[in-house]
Amino acid sequence: MQKVGIVGYYQVKLYSDANYGRYEMIFEAVRGALDKAGLKKKDITTVISCTNDYYDGRTISNSFAVEAGGAYLADESKVEMDGAHALLYGMMRILSGNHKLAVIWAGSMASCFPYHSARLFETDPTWERPTAYVNDITALGFQMRAYMNKFGVSAEEIAGIAVKNRKNASKNPLALKEAQNPNLTVKDVLNSETYADPVRELMVAQPCDGVAALLLAPEKQALKITDKPVWITGVGYNQDAYYLGDRNLAESKSMELASKMAYKTAGIKDPLKEIDIAEIFESAAHEELILKEALGLTDKGEGPSLNSEINGEFPINPSGGAIGGNPPCGTGLIRIIEATKQIRGEANGYQVKNVNKAIASGQIGMCAQNNIIYILEGGN
Amino acid sequence: MGRQVCIASAGFSEHASKRSDVSMPELVSEAIEDCLKKVPSVSINDIDAFVNGNMPAFEGANIPELWMTDWMGARNKPLMRITTGGTTGGSVAIGGYYTVAAELPGIDTILAIGFEQQSQGDTSTGLASVAYGEISVLNTLGITYDQLTQLLSAGAAIGVASYQATNYMRRSKITEEDLARVVVQNRHNAAKTWWAHLKMPDLTIEDVLETPYISYPLRYGMVCPASDGACAMLFTTEQKAKDLCDIPVYVNGVGSVANETGVLGYNGSGAGQLDTSEQLGAKKSAELAFGQAGISFPRKEIDYAEVYSPFPNQELMWIERLGLFEENTASEMYENGVTALNGELPINCSGGVNSTNAIGASAMERPAVAALQIMGKASNQVPKTVHTAIGHGWGGVINLITMMVMSDKPTRKIN
Repeated sequence: MQKVGIVGYYQVKLYSDANYGRYEMIFEAVRGALDKAGLKKKDITTVISCTNDYYDGRTISNSFAVEAGGAYLADESKVEMDGAHALLYGMMRILSGNHKLAVIWAGSMASCFPYHSARLFETDPTWERPTAYVNDITALGFQMRAYMNKFGVSAEEIAGIAVKNRKNASKNPLALKEAQNPNLTVKDVLNSETYADPVRELMVAQPCDGVAALLLAPEKQALKITDKPVWITGVGYNQDAYYLGDRNLAESKSMELASKMAYKTAGIKDPLKEIDIAEIFESAAHEELILKEALGLTDKGEGPSLNSEINGEFPINPSGGAIGGNPPCGTGLIRIIEATKQIRGEANGYQVKNVNKAIASGQIGMCAQNNIIYILEGGN
Repeated sequence: MGRQVCIASAGFSEHASKRSDVSMPELVSEAIEDCLKKVPSVSINDIDAFVNGNMPAFEGANIPELWMTDWMGARNKPLMRITTGGTTGGSVAIGGYYTVAAELPGIDTILAIGFEQQSQGDTSTGLASVAYGEISVLNTLGITYDQLTQLLSAGAAIGVASYQATNYMRRSKITEEDLARVVVQNRHNAAKTWWAHLKMPDLTIEDVLETPYISYPLRYGMVCPASDGACAMLFTTEQKAKDLCDIPVYVNGVGSVANETGVLGYNGSGAGQLDTSEQLGAKKSAELAFGQAGISFPRKEIDYAEVYSPFPNQELMWIERLGLFEENTASEMYENGVTALNGELPINCSGGVNSTNAIGASAMERPAVAALQIMGKASNQVPKTVHTAIGHGWGGVINLITMMVMSDKPTRKIN
């Protein structure tokens, strides 16, 4: 695979109830990314958006965002998954040789729709939706319980991930205010309301409002646009079985297969040694551990023993991760932007030292049914 | 960068207004089976990745690929979902093309799948929020929700399409009879296509003109049905396609362009455009796709076209805007038999969307049929040899256009 350059990015601040409209947010993100890269609307050759009609509350919701997203008379399309999947399509378009500058934007406003009702429409309409017993909330409970039971990981260790991410988020000015807490303790997390036993509310990535945009260019153009390009050198994506009973919830087979594809492409043999940080889309604290293990950073069940604080052995989610704010559709793209920031040394306040290679991931579905992962590298 | 991409096969499910005999995943697997049956050496296990899409609002199922995984054979395979409204099928086909063109390691052969089971939901309700345009903007202009219902949404998409039809009729000076002629040709063609929905081999212009208006100038007998159906296409590399079929169909150009104007243009969304038959997006999409394919004179170089026209006025409009005929001459071509099965430039020999419309599949069925016409394997095969063909899709509010230019030779330049 030829490498593709990330040449610009912009993320609006995340709010639990933003005081401005969807189109303004999209415009701010896309215009912001172009301005920061010193580019103009006319430079855009293709636009890939990522929204969801259920989250936006209207059919073909992307058709109303054509102008705001810079897609008027540009070659455009929409991926209805996570922003990280939209990035994949943008990347494919660059790799095909047909396009020279791709804009990818993703996000939504969870304050405008009942998030969990919309997620319920993602369940099997015959067997699961009528009873609503299996849904995105209960699934997190099943997943955490399966993980704890199989590997003997304690609730305290999992709560520790929530503490880490919320502490990290407090240093990230764009993170969700409600998610930021520098003084949180494991006890606070375990004493918060039950979300879906054994998951506690403070362990969960709270849906919020936000949009992010990212610019991609082929190698030659990327070097002209910026002197600090970040290269995508590997990508992998994979979809697991749907029925939770068909899956081993304590692990993530789709992430294992996705990372295998990405590592192979980027020529990575030992991810723990060769990669410096990871930005992982975790729907809840325990999922960060499951995905961390699936990425091959530790053995199965050993996730908690690898120190992933900002100054730890292998920092994960220095930005606060999805727990630091989870705008549906936008979260995965924000992970890639945060990894890009770390490589470019632009993560003010939560910068990890000497980052040259990073992992960033996105996901959709219950218990991270579909995972996508990128390998990002710095240097000209 | 990139590599040549070929279509090795395409398949369809049977289409009808109610496919109550199958569930949505079963409908999809019918199309996959028909697609893979034509390339016996490929089994579902040989598929490296999937690209999928449908209209999410119509069946009340969000991202149905999640629970349809096993039915499609997609467990633990890479999968991407693309949806763009009416153009979904076309966008999915283009997504399939890009997935192969990108040369991602280990991804050579992919299945692209478009589907819709409209009988499981209410399409008009699903479309209401599109046809209304930008509700908040129209409200600020003093138009109430009740008035909107009367103004725009009569029969969902048709409310918007009737504006487009009158705009086009004003420009081209055609009559209702000319519209009916297009319908008759389509329904006769559908009668010879095994998977088509409205098969009417004996339909006459008079029959069509006797049906009542839904919204002037579009009569009941002129509009597309709401179908249940699915379509699947197999995209692969040049080398593999050569092994799989006698005539691999090269995808030489693609485009997907919108000139929707939403809130920022303050036009009350796409439906508020002054002339909805102008179609800048279609022109730009054609320009892009023909440019990539190295086609300078579409009128001479295209042998066959499948265009997305639920309504007959659109069929006339598209073939003009896409550069196949001069402006305001399309109707004459139907009168003179130029667009008929044995004509110089046959259009929509599958019966088109006018006869079969499973929305998420429709815009994919266009390139799928066009590809089969090049292979000589179409259900209603044209007698002449087809070298180069186009498959077009229409969606968005009033204007998001997908285009795919296909040929039996590679003409796209790889840098």
